[in-house]
Amino acid sequence: MIEMKKAESHHDILGDHVETDKRVLDGARSAPTFRGDVVFAKPDAQPLDSELCRQVEEVCAPKAITSREVGGRLQLALDKGRCIMCGLCEEVAPALFEVNSRFAQPVKRRSDLIVAQASGKAPDGPDHSHEKLGRRLSEKITKFLGRSLAIREVDAGSCNGCEVEVAALNNAIYDIERFGVHFVASPRHADVLLVTGVGSRNMESALRRTYDATPDPKVVVAVGACAITGGVFGDTYATSGGVGNIVPVDVYVPGCPPRPEALLYGLLLAVDRIR
Amino acid sequence: MTIREVASVHSGAASRESMLLERFGKRLVSVRTMNWNEVHVDARNKEDVPELCLYVRDELKGKLATIICSDERRVSGGFVLRYAFDIGHGEDIFVIVTARVQQGDAHSPPAFPSIALLLPAAALYEREIKDMFGLIPEGNPDARPLTLHEHWPEDVFPLRKEFELRTKVANVQNRDYRFLKVEGEGVSEIPVGPVHAGIIEPGHFRFSILGESIVNLETRLFYTHRGVEKLAEDLRLDQVLLLSERISGDEAVANSSAYCQAVEKVAGVVPPPRALKIRTVCAELERVYNHLGTLAGLSTDVGFAYGAARLNFLKEMMMRLNEEVAGSRLLFGVNRLGGVGIDLPSEKSRLVKDTADTVLADFNRIVRLLRNDSSVMDRLRGTGAIGPNDAAEMGLVGVAARGSGLDIDTRRDHPYGAYRSITIAPHYDTPRQVTEHEVEMANRRGDVRSRFETRVEEVVNSVNMIGEVLWNLDNDTELLVPVQMENLKPFSHALGYAESHRGQTVHWIMVGDEPDTLFRYKVRTASFANWPAIETAVLNDIVADFPLVNKSLDLSYAGNDL
Repeated sequence: MIEMKKAESHHDILGDHVETDKRVLDGARSAPTFRGDVVFAKPDAQPLDSELCRQVEEVCAPKAITSREVGGRLQLALDKGRCIMCGLCEEVAPALFEVNSRFAQPVKRRSDLIVAQASGKAPDGPDHSHEKLGRRLSEKITKFLGRSLAIREVDAGSCNGCEVEVAALNNAIYDIERFGVHFVASPRHADVLLVTGVGSRNMESALRRTYDATPDPKVVVAVGACAITGGVFGDTYATSGGVGNIVPVDVYVPGCPPRPEALLYGLLLAVDRIR
Repeated sequence: MTIREVASVHSGAASRESMLLERFGKRLVSVRTMNWNEVHVDARNKEDVPELCLYVRDELKGKLATIICSDERRVSGGFVLRYAFDIGHGEDIFVIVTARVQQGDAHSPPAFPSIALLLPAAALYEREIKDMFGLIPEGNPDARPLTLHEHWPEDVFPLRKEFELRTKVANVQNRDYRFLKVEGEGVSEIPVGPVHAGIIEPGHFRFSILGESIVNLETRLFYTHRGVEKLAEDLRLDQVLLLSERISGDEAVANSSAYCQAVEKVAGVVPPPRALKIRTVCAELERVYNHLGTLAGLSTDVGFAYGAARLNFLKEMMMRLNEEVAGSRLLFGVNRLGGVGIDLPSEKSRLVKDTADTVLADFNRIVRLLRNDSSVMDRLRGTGAIGPNDAAEMGLVGVAARGSGLDIDTRRDHPYGAYRSITIAPHYDTPRQVTEHEVEMANRRGDVRSRFETRVEEVVNSVNMIGEVLWNLDNDTELLVPVQMENLKPFSHALGYAESHRGQTVHWIMVGDEPDTLFRYKVRTASFANWPAIETAVLNDIVADFPLVNKSLDLSYAGNDL
């Protein structure tokens, strides 16, 4: 199906080979419907209904919501490292949970992902555009490294959802290379290992060898609920319940999958760790 | 479905029933039609399976869709094998050949006759059954492990009922995996993976090369085996839905639709029309964003960064649209058992329509750019060719099959969702367009260019389909019909299917003792059917073309490994 090529106007010198018009995509917001984070709706709710607690615990497939008794009162805890952002808890108990369109904040300590209800209203996740995050990242990289940050992505048994988002960092909108971040082809060239997936049994030795091949100082970023805890796949015969059980993890990026902005934020924390 | 349509489905199934009865008679326990379009043939003796399967393939023109094994020792005293064949060809029928395998003893493990030499497409299923259930396919020439790599002990069979989901199995050292060795002067090997250079999933490729040409390629997969099928037996039905979306992240709608349809079939529930249409719109949105990504990948792999940048831009636009529509950039959370969990109010439908049209207009310009660029098209033409006979023999599905000239499409052959009421075939209005289409089809040689053109055509068709469905979106507000748990009889089963952007996806479920659980969940995604194609496709190509061929087939590792 070859169509005739014709010059449409005088500036169309290059014919159909290149177009030079400008396209703009506003990147400063996520859709209000986006399920980026789950938070407690009211931090200090009245004594909890045990039936409702049972219901929300039951509806949560990755078992991110747990309840326990503290001083004779039921208390709920939410593990964002398990949460797959399905939003079913909000549907069952809108009085307890709220789905937020801001992405869940990446952290450096695993325990920071577990939020107890009584700990007060959790601060809302960052709502940065990728432009702002990218510029901060770029400044930090220049300051600490004086060169580009090299990343090796390792899929240790993911559903490929996280890969779609990591790959999106390289598209023309996020265009992460302009911030001095470079995806490299070998772990031997990498500063950061971006690990996705459950840490499957069949990938265990490959992941360990990749880690060993990466020169020090190295930083491991666990991307997505699966890499942090196994997510919906849990801890079974085929998985390891999180890549942290195979290699030491420095930064945790929650989400299923985390959106590209969350990945940028995770890298921001990763650079801190290199320092 | 109208009464007349139901009748016609039954008459097709009935004629298959009588053909099978006439031919095999007393050798069958029963032949019956279930769930509208499943003809179940129950063989008295497992030794008759090869002959039955050959008959279904040759006389009934069936195409192997999946082989399901289930451990029903507790229920019926043995393992049960079900060979599902897709009849297609304008008739919405599946023929399922069932056979029983008795439990062996310590000296003779349970075994069944292999059909791999008769139907090459069956080879991988049989090896999978051997790993997961410990049934020996007698006569399968390949005895190497598939799903469970060499560090698993030989006597561990995860899908047997006595195996506990959370068992941690110790590594063993004494097993090894032999790749096929090509020997001769100048032949060398290149091992690649499982950790690759790009941002892709893990798998191992072993190339044997002579100079630059590939003499042999062996793929080794299942690195992302996450135990999906076993895990499903431990979850509730609604939780398995979330799991099914994550079998392969970029096929969330297709996999969850197939699963929902299987459950709905068992429960005898038909989702409301508006829900079916929303499912269909989302399935097509998924197809569009993934095809755009694949075409961008092809453009990258031939070194045409400009085309890739433009196409990835469109993919990002579609993913943002997904976010607006479903709250997830990968369309997680669209499906519910008995309907959908999202709605498309008129302002959202307008947004979908407008965005899709904008993307399509730009897409057409980029495709014109690519087609006019000889540095792109020369790399695609003749590369990675799969002939129609090979494609049929290997049981390819989806774009890979259509690019090789096989006219199969689950959306048309086994209409589900709202596909019954919309135009699937490319719709051409003028004689000139019809002729152009015929010339194009005759040009399809199963090479990368053919798959490129197939994808381009499908993007255009999908956008048109989205427009058509949205135009006819019903005004009723019902989105969900409750699935009554008491209708899910223990051990009732059904086949669910969908056409993902990779091809036919088949999910089979069997309800457990408790109506809210699954006894067995068998998933066969398009990737499992299409992976063998790559070993054939790259033969005699140069190593540098491998990424291109791989991308053109667009295979999911996660969907294959489960």
